[in-house]
Amino acid sequence: MLFPTLEFGVFFLIVFTVSWALRWVPLSRKIFLVAASYFFYGWWDWRFTALLFFTTVVNYLGGLLIGMTGNQATRKLIVGVTVAVDLVVLGFFKYYGFFLTSLDSLLTGIGLHRDLPFMEVILPIGISFFTFQGISYVVDVYRGHIGAEKSLLDVMLFKSFFPQLVAGPIVRAADFIPQLHQTPRLTREHLGVGTVLILTGLLKKMVIANYLATELVDPVFFDPTASGALDLLIGVYGYAVQIYCDFSGYSDIAIGVAALLGYRFLENFNQPYRASSLQDFWRRWHISLSTWLRDYLYIPLGGNRGGEAKTYRNLFLTMFLGGVWHGAAWTFVIWGTLHGAMLAVERVLRRGLEELAPAQTEAGGLLTMLGNGASHILGVIWTFHFVCLAWIFFRADSLASAINYIAGFGDFVTPRQYATPFLVGLIAVTMIFQFTPRHLGRWLAQGVKQLPSPLLGLLLGSGLWLIWALAPEGVAPFIYFQF
Amino acid sequence: MLDLLHELESGMSEGWEAASKAELKSAEQTRRSISRFTRAMSIAALLLLFFNSSQLVTYVNGFEVGPVQDTVVALSTTWNEQMAKNHLDKPFRTVRDFVSRLRATSWEEVGAHVDAAQHGDSARLLRGMLHDEAKDARS
Repeated sequence: MLFPTLEFGVFFLIVFTVSWALRWVPLSRKIFLVAASYFFYGWWDWRFTALLFFTTVVNYLGGLLIGMTGNQATRKLIVGVTVAVDLVVLGFFKYYGFFLTSLDSLLTGIGLHRDLPFMEVILPIGISFFTFQGISYVVDVYRGHIGAEKSLLDVMLFKSFFPQLVAGPIVRAADFIPQLHQTPRLTREHLGVGTVLILTGLLKKMVIANYLATELVDPVFFDPTASGALDLLIGVYGYAVQIYCDFSGYSDIAIGVAALLGYRFLENFNQPYRASSLQDFWRRWHISLSTWLRDYLYIPLGGNRGGEAKTYRNLFLTMFLGGVWHGAAWTFVIWGTLHGAMLAVERVLRRGLEELAPAQTEAGGLLTMLGNGASHILGVIWTFHFVCLAWIFFRADSLASAINYIAGFGDFVTPRQYATPFLVGLIAVTMIFQFTPRHLGRWLAQGVKQLPSPLLGLLLGSGLWLIWALAPEGVAPFIYFQF
Repeated sequence: MLDLLHELESGMSEGWEAASKAELKSAEQTRRSISRFTRAMSIAALLLLFFNSSQLVTYVNGFEVGPVQDTVVALSTTWNEQMAKNHLDKPFRTVRDFVSRLRATSWEEVGAHVDAAQHGDSARLLRGMLHDEAKDARS
């Protein structure tokens, strides 16, 4: 069930009405929300609801046992086993095919060809997201950040809550489970935020992302050799905007839907293309994943505590594994490697610059201000283009296709075919919104929350109508569903 | 033990009313917000039903064959025809036509518009004559 469909509209109408009607009976409300979430998940393939339930029970029992045990070694063993079960499940569904194909090529290459047990493994939608949530739950219980949850129902709702189930944001147990212990509330603020986020999310996904995908990105990436330099350049800019609108659009809708049901999710995107360094970019892009990688991978690896060399290694490994998490393909490996390597290079350069010209605490003169402004602008341009270069590997179907794409930047002969004023306009408008005041959405929500219900209804109805009228026919799935 | 019990009782007597008032206020606020958003959603659904009825037909056409489904499909089609007959689908088509024109705009047309704006040829620009001229030039 996709968010921008009539099916989801009907589903949400029912969930909203029934869940709020049950607000006086928290247990029934939770049971209903879990049932609705499993129904939402089962809409794609009901068989995988069993997998979701199995991993939830494993995490629940793991958390419970860690909470009951005082012995540090035993706690460590339990957290290790629970995380291993999560990773084995994820690894099997996500990397089985890739592993066997690579092994087959290797064995054939060295003349030891064997018939390997190949099979068609369907990737359960959203598996990476609910696995990460499960891991964060048991690790947080182990670290003592949260207590072990005694109610299986609460853990089930935490892992399966439908707005974030299939494509994030990756919600932390410490943020969500305490909300389940409180009486659900719906305020004017929730309505304002929910309405604004749902409408902006739909606009981003249905209009901007869908047009860019169908009329620019898909044809250009399908055969990069058939396009000239200008189309390829606009194509990669288009993909940068498409993936941002697609994914942040999904996150916006998820946060908005959760708000209308009385729950709060944290922000997942914060104008990422205005970042002036790669480090800054990762503080703004897919925040729930980057903070997850920081807390459950970078810090356990040692973070920046083991000296310079180990810090670079940890940065590199974190981003490398972040790349592999996206999928079992060499293109994702290169994407992660590029980001990891550049984060390390940035850190070296920053250190070097600080030694050469230490930051001044006093306010500088006009020249210093101009210098800082210029370096900030250069930083934004450089970061955006580096991110775009890495997106080529992320989007390309194969390594050869990515290399062809980059090689195509030297082709000034092939005439322009895809970069129309309409598509360039969509890219430009989205990029302008990367530099608007950060709290624009909040201000809009402040205005919306004051509206009386007929005006709110008019806004919601005309907003949905306009988005449908502007959008191309059909609904493309969200990019992050495949991860 | 008695001290503890007394403390607990006095704590309750002091905080009970305040907590209860806050809870009541919150519950009332929630009730109002639910009714408010339910009304808003109903208005939105009605708007879409009237002005975007073609979407309803697209949706119900995906139903499987069956007596109930067939009736729903027939009702939706009739509803959509009635809306079209009363020109309620016109705004939707106008927006789509506008988007189609935007999508078909070429760089030459954009150039002609920019030139016209620079040379103060706004009258011809407004009448859409430049659009036609740019098309002629292309053909």
